[in-house]
Amino acid sequence: MVRVARLLVISFCMVFFCLALAGNAAAVEIYNGSITTGDGYQLNNFVIDVTDAFPSAETASFYVYENGEEVDSFLLSEGDTYEFDFEDDAEITVGLVSVSSGTLPVVRVSISITNYRVSDLFESDVIDGGSEYAVYSGTPELEIVKSIDKSEIDVGDVVRVTVTVENTGDDDAVDVVFSDPQQAKFILVDNILGDPGKIDVGDGDSPKKIYVYDLKATEAGTFSLNPVTASFTNEAGLDFDDASSNSPTVIVNAAENLVTADLEFTTTLDKYTVNRNDEIHGTITIKNNGDAPATAVTVDFMLPDGLEFQSGSDIEVISGVPTIYLESFGVQQEKEFTFTVKATEVGTYTLSMENSYLFDNGVDTQLEEVTSESVTNKIYVVKGEYDYLFEQPIYVYVIPLVIIGAIAGWIYYRHKQYKF
Amino acid sequence: MLNILIVGNGQCGNRILDAINREAFGKKSRLAKFYSQQKYKSNVQTIAINTAVNDLKEMKFTKAKDRIHIPHLHGVGANRNVGKHVFEDNKTHIMRQIEERGNFDVCFVITSASGGTGSSFTPMLVKELKEKYDFPVYAVVVLPFREEGTLYLQNAAFCLRDIRESGADGIILADNQFLKQMGGNVESAYNGINDMVARRLLFLLDALDSEMMMVTDLGDFKTVMSGGAGLATIGFYEADTDMPVRSAIQKALSPSGLLFSSDVYKEASRAMVIIRGDKERLSIDEISTEVEKLSSSVGHVFKGIIVRDGELPQVLAVLTLESASELENLYSIAVDAIKYERDKKERVATVKDVDRAFSQIDGMDPSY
Repeated sequence: MVRVARLLVISFCMVFFCLALAGNAAAVEIYNGSITTGDGYQLNNFVIDVTDAFPSAETASFYVYENGEEVDSFLLSEGDTYEFDFEDDAEITVGLVSVSSGTLPVVRVSISITNYRVSDLFESDVIDGGSEYAVYSGTPELEIVKSIDKSEIDVGDVVRVTVTVENTGDDDAVDVVFSDPQQAKFILVDNILGDPGKIDVGDGDSPKKIYVYDLKATEAGTFSLNPVTASFTNEAGLDFDDASSNSPTVIVNAAENLVTADLEFTTTLDKYTVNRNDEIHGTITIKNNGDAPATAVTVDFMLPDGLEFQSGSDIEVISGVPTIYLESFGVQQEKEFTFTVKATEVGTYTLSMENSYLFDNGVDTQLEEVTSESVTNKIYVVKGEYDYLFEQPIYVYVIPLVIIGAIAGWIYYRHKQYKF
Repeated sequence: MLNILIVGNGQCGNRILDAINREAFGKKSRLAKFYSQQKYKSNVQTIAINTAVNDLKEMKFTKAKDRIHIPHLHGVGANRNVGKHVFEDNKTHIMRQIEERGNFDVCFVITSASGGTGSSFTPMLVKELKEKYDFPVYAVVVLPFREEGTLYLQNAAFCLRDIRESGADGIILADNQFLKQMGGNVESAYNGINDMVARRLLFLLDALDSEMMMVTDLGDFKTVMSGGAGLATIGFYEADTDMPVRSAIQKALSPSGLLFSSDVYKEASRAMVIIRGDKERLSIDEISTEVEKLSSSVGHVFKGIIVRDGELPQVLAVLTLESASELENLYSIAVDAIKYERDKKERVATVKDVDRAFSQIDGMDPSY
């Protein structure tokens, strides 16, 4: 059973391939019409000229040109056909249907093609004047060169990039569109000659500048610049593979003028073992050890549940988070902030600070952000001196309060009784 | 249970009344009123009356509702005529206050004879009480120092006479001459005599409403007080640890034990002797011997014995007097004082030295 099924599948495949091959090999009539003597019929870069027609003899002579060069000639009588080689394995069959007289004799021909996809024909039409007036399709070849004025620079230095194009092919490049991807680790600081848009590049033209721009290196290293690519067609509208430029290499050395802000955040507490409900006094010291000023210096207190912020100098509580914010912080500047937290619950805690600041490193256009986190040593909160009072059952407090209240009430009553 | 009204008139009466209320707490602490109750055996109502608000404010153990201030006055300046006028104007208010406190079986009105408010209010108050009620009213009158001043002496003389004429059922005399015996500063001496009077009255009130081994009651007290010349005094003594009850009785009846100095064996008319203490210490023989000794001199003596376990013997003697040599001395001095005041007033009225001085500038004007 399995075997039968396998045979059936194979049979179907063979039938399919046979039909496909048959379809490909079958002659397709391209043209069936009249051509006046002296005119021709162009199929891509081939032109079939009708050189002479003899109505009385019911014959006509044909010349075949490829790219303007005669490659074949033949004489047909009415009803005869002639085959010649076309591109690749294809063949053209020319049949003479009839010859008629007139001012100029006119022949009726049938042109068919085998082993060729008709859709690949970019030219199929009668040419007045024959091959002398035919336009042949060429191959443009674009040579794109990306060049740099310096191959070794420092971070922060600028390198000028120039992109030129030259058509070394035998046909114009039409509708050329260039693409120059953005370069990583470099920033565009000046665009001297921008995107030219869609242009034509004629064959034989002198090299043409496409892009001229300046790139600023932001990071040290060796970088190959991205190649410029171009898409284009020839004059006949034929598409070609994209042309691509070279990739020049730039060596970027670390720059000596790169600056940085280096803020040191130090948190110290006056004690690390406290009784519950006691206060802890702390100091945050911020010092800029770098050589660039910092901006937007922020310190956020990440207080655990057992610690409660009480107060602090220049510390604001924003959305429940005690925060130090400094608009700017100079080079080698040092500043202290004092704060007080209250230990509300027994336990072991640490006090975390989330620190962040921005600075201009002198190279990047954007400010560089630095974040860090600092954590204090462990804080041990032990029971307070009077905590045992809160651990007693409620009646321990209520009964004395009731008694005291009653005594106070009685004293007040007696006082009022005897107060004159 | 007896219903007893005690009225304190004037500064002296107020202070003695406050001392009674303090002693009734049974504690010496000033804070006793906050944690203790007065231990009156009877239904005792106390009222303090004064024209000087400061005297009323000084009271610490008398309830505010029991202090009656006669408004718009700051004392009557030892002037009994002013005092009488003020009482007359406020008589209705005072009597209503007494009436609101219910009915009583006996009333004591405590006053100084020499001051202004007390000496003028007491006779008139006693008269009003006697006219309106049928319970006996006794005046407890404190006599001044003999050298205290002519105004006080003449006030005392007239006050005592007015009280006798007001219809009082008896006058219990207390004499400030005790100050001399007690020594110390004036304040402590005054407080001492106030306490002394207070303790005797409280003892008496306690005795009148106590179950006794030998009974004396209010009726007996009335009988005693009705005897003699309407004047009485109270003797008291609390025995020391080893003192026999006989000696305590003798001390209570001696001039030093009395509120008013008197030779009771010669001047007393009737007597009531109340002895309180542990029964082991109360020798009936000794008591009888001393009581018989007294009765042989004064006639009838009511005797009461209150047994209190663990207490040292205490003796209270109420004695009405047929005569009082000390009172005669007081009145003789008072007469001199009255004459002195009268002469001075006449002299001032006739001589008018000051007017003569002023007359020297008659018809003249100042020049500037």
